[in-house]
Amino acid sequence: MNGTKKRMISLLLPALSALPAVAQNRFPKPDFESGYQYPAFTYAVPDETWWNTVDIILLVAMMSVVALAVIRQRKRRPVFIVSIISVLYFGFFRNGCVCSIGAIQNVILSLTDSSYVMPLAAFLMFILPVIFTFLFGRIFCAGVCPFGALQELVNIKNFRLSKAVSAVLGVIPWIYLLFAVLYAVTRSSFIICRFDPFIGIFRMGGDIGMIAFGGLLLIASVFTGRPFCRFLCPYGALLSLFSRYSIRRISITPSCINCDLCHNACPVAAIRPPYENRVKESRMEGVKRLLAYFVFLPVMMFAGAYMMRTASDALSTANRDIRLYEQVVRNEINPRDIQPVDVEVFFSQGGTIDELESRVAKIGAGFKTYSTATGALIGLVVAITLINLSLKRTRKTYGIDHAACVACGRCFGYCPQNIKHKHADENCR
Amino acid sequence: MKKNTTTPISRKRFLHLCSRITAGAAIVAVSGAAVRRMTQQRDADYFWQIDPSKCTFCGRCEKECVLAVSAVKCIHANRVCGYCDLCGGYYRANVKDLNTAAENLMCPTGAIRREYVEDPYFEYTIDESLCNGCGKCAKGCNSFGNGSLYLQVKQELCKNCNECKISKACPSGAIQRAPFGRAYMLKDV
Repeated sequence: MNGTKKRMISLLLPALSALPAVAQNRFPKPDFESGYQYPAFTYAVPDETWWNTVDIILLVAMMSVVALAVIRQRKRRPVFIVSIISVLYFGFFRNGCVCSIGAIQNVILSLTDSSYVMPLAAFLMFILPVIFTFLFGRIFCAGVCPFGALQELVNIKNFRLSKAVSAVLGVIPWIYLLFAVLYAVTRSSFIICRFDPFIGIFRMGGDIGMIAFGGLLLIASVFTGRPFCRFLCPYGALLSLFSRYSIRRISITPSCINCDLCHNACPVAAIRPPYENRVKESRMEGVKRLLAYFVFLPVMMFAGAYMMRTASDALSTANRDIRLYEQVVRNEINPRDIQPVDVEVFFSQGGTIDELESRVAKIGAGFKTYSTATGALIGLVVAITLINLSLKRTRKTYGIDHAACVACGRCFGYCPQNIKHKHADENCR
Repeated sequence: MKKNTTTPISRKRFLHLCSRITAGAAIVAVSGAAVRRMTQQRDADYFWQIDPSKCTFCGRCEKECVLAVSAVKCIHANRVCGYCDLCGGYYRANVKDLNTAAENLMCPTGAIRREYVEDPYFEYTIDESLCNGCGKCAKGCNSFGNGSLYLQVKQELCKNCNECKISKACPSGAIQRAPFGRAYMLKDV
């Protein structure tokens, strides 16, 4: 990071001369005769560099532990311990900011807007789990992420959701991710941070609505595995892409005896049982189906793009300037004695309607472009989900859906072969 | 006879490999772009701070902060202050008697203390443990005085949310991210 060396524990006042004098001198400086001295003062700036370093070191260490545990040792206990540490440290001690999920927005903003300079910690928080996921699967989700860890720790029973329900809900993280990017690039809002259900719980205070939502999610995660990770988390969606093509990964015990115990144990329905596709399809029919997909996909994208483009004006009201403009216009049409604070401040700062209009037009145009792109991608996601649902491949053995698997390691304890191997290992020693 | 045909399995494997390369390339590309952005520019924007030249003392800092008591506090610049007896930040407008009766005082929490220095000067200090960041005193001081009372985000209290909730509510856009060197924007330099 630039100027890391400059960082001190506290800043002495004379060092700060960045600000021009803004005070209006209605009253002259007093001439003290009693020898009065101005009180000295310092304003401490907490040195976050050190804590950020600890964060990053712990992040890497914990991900390495989980990777080793689930890929090499096939054990759940280290993951469990990491989960507890993560909830305590990243959650209750560090209070969650900046987290990997929210850092998506910082990265996107810094890539698209040169006036924003991203802190190094935010970037590392974003990229390190992605790299680890690409190498070893979603081990960040397993227990390093305090949100996943918290849900994992309260999870007792696994009621399996129907395939239809989880397929529909599974689209939400993608849409959430796309909207987060849309609102971040237009500098409107960081919706991931704003609608974070667990931060209020970790901070023990904050927006009541979000805390209640977080509480509901936690109650839900007692009965079904990780509802937030599966059906909301935008970072999970992103990681699932990299996990799908990860280099080394968690696997079914090699000497699988098809007992189905792991399938029942998996909280996120990532273990696919063997399946025999009895529908025999002729080659011609298959080609036709493929062609239909090729037509269907762009149609869905087009429909999504069109829908989002129509909605872009409504979406743009998330931007502060757009809202201000609406208020100003309303005030022009129907002037009130007491202007709304925002309008009053706008005019008192010498803002003119023309200038605001041109700024709003620019933001609106940005929203049009970006929401069209977002719509197309939403269409793509929905189409791919539907196409995936229609594919029925024959599987002879148990397999892991690496996109969905969060590497929590719950299946290891249920696998009789795994336990047998472990006993054999111990006996050897 | 061995024909060079592609079986479904190897096709699948080929696609998988392509995707894997794409994923790896994406990581490298994003990292490269982000690192270039971070190295060629100034210090990172890490702290939230109020620009006093933009602040309008609307009072939203008190309510919008995610903390139970806002991290925004009033700060007093002694070197700007006029040390007046009739202080626009200490007393409400149109007070009859200049005494410390609660109905005369501006601060709703009694966080401003004053001490007699010499005729006719008074020294004002803020008790930050009582201040709730409502900005009433700052408004008074800026309308009738030198503007030595102003609002700042206290960095040791601020949770450094990725998106400051107050900044979204601020009518004048006074709350922005600032690099380390501007973690405080002080008036009395």
